[in-house]
Amino acid sequence: MVPATGLCEGCMRTIDEIVAWGRADDATKRAIWAEIRRREAQIAFD
Amino acid sequence: MRLPASMQVFERGWLSANNILFIGRSETTLVDSGYVTHAPQTLALLRHALAGRPLDRIVNTHLHSDHCGGNAALKDAYGCRIAIPVFEAAKVRAWDEDALSYRATGQQCARFGFEATIAPGDVLTMGDLRWQALSAPGHDPHALLFWCAQEGILIAGDALWQNGFGVIFPELAGEPGFGEVRATLDLIAQLAPRLVIPGHGAPFLDVAAALQRAYSRLDYLAADPVRNAENAVKVLLKFLLIERRAIPLAEVTALFETVPLLVLARERFLPRSSAALAQWAVRALEKAGAANLREGILADA
Repeated sequence: MVPATGLCEGCMRTIDEIVAWGRADDATKRAIWAEIRRREAQIAFD
Repeated sequence: MRLPASMQVFERGWLSANNILFIGRSETTLVDSGYVTHAPQTLALLRHALAGRPLDRIVNTHLHSDHCGGNAALKDAYGCRIAIPVFEAAKVRAWDEDALSYRATGQQCARFGFEATIAPGDVLTMGDLRWQALSAPGHDPHALLFWCAQEGILIAGDALWQNGFGVIFPELAGEPGFGEVRATLDLIAQLAPRLVIPGHGAPFLDVAAALQRAYSRLDYLAADPVRNAENAVKVLLKFLLIERRAIPLAEVTALFETVPLLVLARERFLPRSSAALAQWAVRALEKAGAANLREGILADA
């Protein structure tokens, strides 16, 4: 986890999202995926 | 995808296997604990999901580093009991890193002990449901499946994924593995689960299709053991790359000279120099989109 963002460095999900993922329906997963893409776009990879 | 209310799946990645958390009326159990470097995240997930309850027990499908690397940290945090496949007991008691897979693969695992062993045929109560342990050799000779007949749910570990199964390691050492994988797939086919929770990837319902893919993959690998060795080499390098993020090319070659399973695979099945095999593996990962080579450094992709 990255302490500053609270995100998993690998999958860019929060602890809440990883825990919820296993029971999430497809719409919820798609919404999280959209959020992951948004987060990826904000992070500068070196 | 309907899961009983008493069970949750934490879908992780490749470095850490999935974790399955059972919250029963009187006991909580976690099946598999991820990789050692991910232990803080595993603990954070558990604390969140358990909402103040303690973790009472860890159960391992098998003792590869991506399935039991969190055992020690969770034991420290919760004082939980640890239950391992029975035929691993002596190795774990002595923490025999040569007999366990960690030294052979160049992977890390924090030392842990155990309070209980699980034999094929044993019945465990997890999340107030009955789960039978079944022998699942092939990927690992002592691996276990956990089968809940009442719910039609199979916890498969690395014996069956939606697309394939774990590397058939025993064959690298000249021990039988192909026949064992087939027997394990036959057993799963016979159980006919409604839902499979694999060690890696999302839980899946279309089990018949997954079995078909697994049988064709097995046929392909068993037809020429060199294919199995090539696959093992790629998977082992990719695992080390995920763990380390980036490895200078010179160190990749050194890995092929020192990691015992990479040496064994080369000597038995892939006769060429370590440098040549390293170069082949790097190209194979690049071609698969699993790594990028830039300025002499191999980076995970």
